[in-house]
Amino acid sequence: MVFVMKAFKNFARRAAALFSLLAVLSATFFVGASAQQTKQKPRLSEDQLILHVLNRLGFGARPGDVERVRALGVENYIKQQLNPASISDEVADAKVRNLPVLSMSTAELYAKYPNPGLLLRQLQREGKLPEDLAQLRDERNGIAAQPNAKDSGAMSKDDAKSGDEMKAPSDRSEYRRAIRDYYIKNNLRPPQQLIQELHASRILRAVYSERQLQEVLVDFWTNHFNVFAGKGADRWLLVSYDRDTIRPHTMGKFRDLLLATAQSPAMLFYLDNFQSVSPDAPQGGARQNRRQFEQGQRGGLQGMPGGQGMGRGLGRGLGRGLGQADRDLRQEARRREQQDNPEMSKEQQQGQRAKRGINENYARELMELHTLGVDGGYTQKDVQEVARCFTGWTIFDPRGISSRVAPQMADQAGKFYFNPRLHDDGEKLVLGHKIPAGGGINDGLMVLDILSKHPSTAKFIATKLAVKFVTDNPSPSLVERIASAYTRSDGDIRETLRAIFTTPEFIAPDMYRAKIKTPFELAVSAVRTLGGETNGGPAFHQWIARMGEPIYGYQAPTGYPDTAEDWVNTGALLERLNFGLALANNRIPGTRVNLDRFATDGKSASADKTQTMERFLAVLLQGDVSPNTRQTLLKQVSEPLPEMTEKSAKAGAMDDEDEALLTDAPPRGRRELARADFGPINSEMVKIVGLILGSPEFQRQ
Amino acid sequence: MSINRRFFLKSSGIALAGFGLMQSAPSFLERIALADGKAGSGRRKTLITIFQRGAVDGLNMVVPHGDKNYYSLRPTLAVPQPKQGNESALDLDGFFGLHPSLGVLKPLWDAKRLAIVDAVGSPDNTRSHFDAQDYMESATPGVKSTRDGWLNRYLQSNPDTKATPFRAVSMTQNLPRTLQGRAPAVAISNLSDFTIQAGTSSASLQGGFESIYAQGVNDVLQGTGKETFEAVNYLKKINPAQFKPENGAQYPRNQFGNALLQISQLIKAGVGLEVAFTDTPGLNWDTHFNQGNSRGQLANLLLQFGAGLNALVTDLGKHMDDVVILTMSEFGRTVRENGTRGTDHGHANAMFVIGNSVGGGKVYGDWPGLGGDQLYEGRDLALTTDFRDIFAEVAQKHLGSTKMDKVFPGYATSTSKYRGVI
Repeated sequence: MVFVMKAFKNFARRAAALFSLLAVLSATFFVGASAQQTKQKPRLSEDQLILHVLNRLGFGARPGDVERVRALGVENYIKQQLNPASISDEVADAKVRNLPVLSMSTAELYAKYPNPGLLLRQLQREGKLPEDLAQLRDERNGIAAQPNAKDSGAMSKDDAKSGDEMKAPSDRSEYRRAIRDYYIKNNLRPPQQLIQELHASRILRAVYSERQLQEVLVDFWTNHFNVFAGKGADRWLLVSYDRDTIRPHTMGKFRDLLLATAQSPAMLFYLDNFQSVSPDAPQGGARQNRRQFEQGQRGGLQGMPGGQGMGRGLGRGLGRGLGQADRDLRQEARRREQQDNPEMSKEQQQGQRAKRGINENYARELMELHTLGVDGGYTQKDVQEVARCFTGWTIFDPRGISSRVAPQMADQAGKFYFNPRLHDDGEKLVLGHKIPAGGGINDGLMVLDILSKHPSTAKFIATKLAVKFVTDNPSPSLVERIASAYTRSDGDIRETLRAIFTTPEFIAPDMYRAKIKTPFELAVSAVRTLGGETNGGPAFHQWIARMGEPIYGYQAPTGYPDTAEDWVNTGALLERLNFGLALANNRIPGTRVNLDRFATDGKSASADKTQTMERFLAVLLQGDVSPNTRQTLLKQVSEPLPEMTEKSAKAGAMDDEDEALLTDAPPRGRRELARADFGPINSEMVKIVGLILGSPEFQRQ
Repeated sequence: MSINRRFFLKSSGIALAGFGLMQSAPSFLERIALADGKAGSGRRKTLITIFQRGAVDGLNMVVPHGDKNYYSLRPTLAVPQPKQGNESALDLDGFFGLHPSLGVLKPLWDAKRLAIVDAVGSPDNTRSHFDAQDYMESATPGVKSTRDGWLNRYLQSNPDTKATPFRAVSMTQNLPRTLQGRAPAVAISNLSDFTIQAGTSSASLQGGFESIYAQGVNDVLQGTGKETFEAVNYLKKINPAQFKPENGAQYPRNQFGNALLQISQLIKAGVGLEVAFTDTPGLNWDTHFNQGNSRGQLANLLLQFGAGLNALVTDLGKHMDDVVILTMSEFGRTVRENGTRGTDHGHANAMFVIGNSVGGGKVYGDWPGLGGDQLYEGRDLALTTDFRDIFAEVAQKHLGSTKMDKVFPGYATSTSKYRGVI
């Protein structure tokens, strides 16, 4: 492999040559009936091959997809998918056009979807908090409860006896309603709607996009560079993360993707780097201010790698550096906080400031999870040095308060910028590479270069891709071949993928249906296979969450694990079966499947149950199902078990008191969703489809 | 054992004729039978962990009334010293007192079944709810990339061949970080939802699924499928809802109370529950504004919290011989009250440990004091006990964990660091 690396200095031309060679080879794997291979080695049938590719490069086959790919040729299909820009995608584009958040800047999102708590506090400071809202908030917080607390507040044992008397401190729903009214009156929207639209966009594109591989990769890289929507400002920052960070870079150079994530406000916030500052960074004082004002101006201008366009705001507004403006903002926020907390002591203020300093989180995860892997050969010292390199990579106004505090800078809210004032400009040593003093933002850029070229990164990314696209247990030789494709192409993701799709392992018969679908893949593929329609709304997302994979809902930076054991457990499997039933029975609000369209002769398909069953086995699993499953289904349709009475069925159901989901949907709505899961199933067809969707075969891809 | 199993299937009320469940290697039901204590495997210990998300103000939950700084730093929030009317702290040991809302727990203290650990928490100085909860649930403060939660690592490192699908249960919608990981654990917000949900067709469709998943046993999907239906049927048969609260226990009628009640039902039903988790749904401990003192916001929250704990202990009765309840919260709150009569994010906090095997009636941990130079970063209660020492002690002494290095990676646990709560 060292030989390969050396030999391909002039890689572009030669790699192209190599690829064409591979392409020829692969063509024989795909369709060529080369005589040597017949009989001895079992191979996938053509239909199996097509399905395999549609499942692994996408989210399953819609009605007609198999025929389309057969006509186009599998290799051509793969080639097309590797060039998503060449595929027109009007249907998906039209679907997501109804989601306004997708085209809004972070600043606009902060203004339109404000955090209620923050908004109320700001309104109060400005003396604009409506009286009724103020009163309700105080009630909720227990102030108003005090005057008459004599009865309810006495804490004797007797009082605690009755659970009935223990209500929430005050009526939260009234408070919530008042906030909602204020939002409506002022043309604002609640933040949970923002994340719901983002969920919907992911679901809609996965279901409807012709650029299936692109969507699979969005899913993959979003998970590789995981960000959790539940962490503070990330809810607002994720829109840009999906649109500006992940999507444009899914198949480009890994280094560009890495840089995009390193400079994404979502990641900077999630892994705390926006707070990571050199311990030597000056902490204020008028004299310093002037000096840093000038520095900030310079820094703001030079700190714009990759044309992020951050300099734009400088000409406007105060005509000063973002660093200075950001500092003004923080000072203003601090001043207001002190106004609110007049008793705040010097000690307290110092306590708060004591937080300032280096934060190693991003540096560690950058190496452990994004590039080298946990055994990738770095030390704690490297973590510290890398953290120093990224000091000053921060976010302007991370929580979007500038729209009220400094409106002239508001359009910059929630954007990345490099603040040289906060940067540790000393010399660093990273993985044996010297990073000279005075490099400013280039320190971080150099680190990203070192990491993306590192052999451990090639191996780590190759392994993750192999697990995603080929098998839970990729052989070392497969990983090595993928890794060398990565290295040869200077970390080109598209070329790396091409290497995977042309490797014999990818289409080996024992890879067929060898991967367990993730909950997201299962839900999306079920809708696609049945040719269903969905609005990607909260009800649909809730099912994905119940099966274990809420979108942007994984707390730890590792992202969701991706092997069978991680997805299959009793609770999750039961949810999968129930999802299939709910879908087939049209019990998911906002999602519809029309099973009648598959009726063999236009009339009700229940006429001949066996025929119906075969028809749906063909639709959902290409008729490719174990004799045992077929036998069982046959039995089910010919000798169905007696139905329960309405009464005994009801006894099993009960009011759902689901805990708050990530989306903070109001409890009433949640209960409606939950109740919608139950319901009689009138049609044998629905039962058959529900059973097939829940079968082991459909859990696989 | 197979006789038991067949007997159960026949008597379960679900017609399975025609879908004969075939052989199986280690049947869940056999394991249930073994786990119920009669088969000589020893009684099953259960740990119930309760997470007070949002950071409870430990200084008002367990009042250090013997520290005069407490009163000078909290002019409006402090709970009065004991014996000054029914709104004063309930004295525990002459120095600490319970918030008057927690009066129901005082008998537990007196019976030495309630232990308190104070000035306990995470050595990491983060004041982010998110990060601090993450660290506490993974039990790796400062390390975010830990993949699994500490309770899951306990399950992994102590594999139990007799384990049931209900070995680890979280009464929440999604599996909490604490229980995430390789070892099976289920999140169930309502036990009655743990079934095929298809109205009148439920039984019929379940029969179909059972049959489909009964074929072949050679992979994780089929194995889990069989396991799932055994669990579903078992739960249906024992019908946990039949276990009404006993001994006069009254659970708060809210989600928190419902979660605790269902944990109790699983324990009484003998389903092999070893590790249970719940947070405190509906109780928001993040009291920045108008926290109140003996009355008010926090008082109301503690009233429900205490009532829930008391109901659980009362209801479980003799079962408490084998149960330990452990409460936790990501960090404490500032010692000084803030400008809005509340408290902000702080550092060390207090935990409850409850059980018949607990060395109760004592506040564990050294009191660091609330004087100016004693405060952590000039504002917070300092830490004298790492929360992992308490977790480790409970895991080792109560659950019988042996591979402590696996459960607490990167942390040297040692019996010498244990506080002796059990």
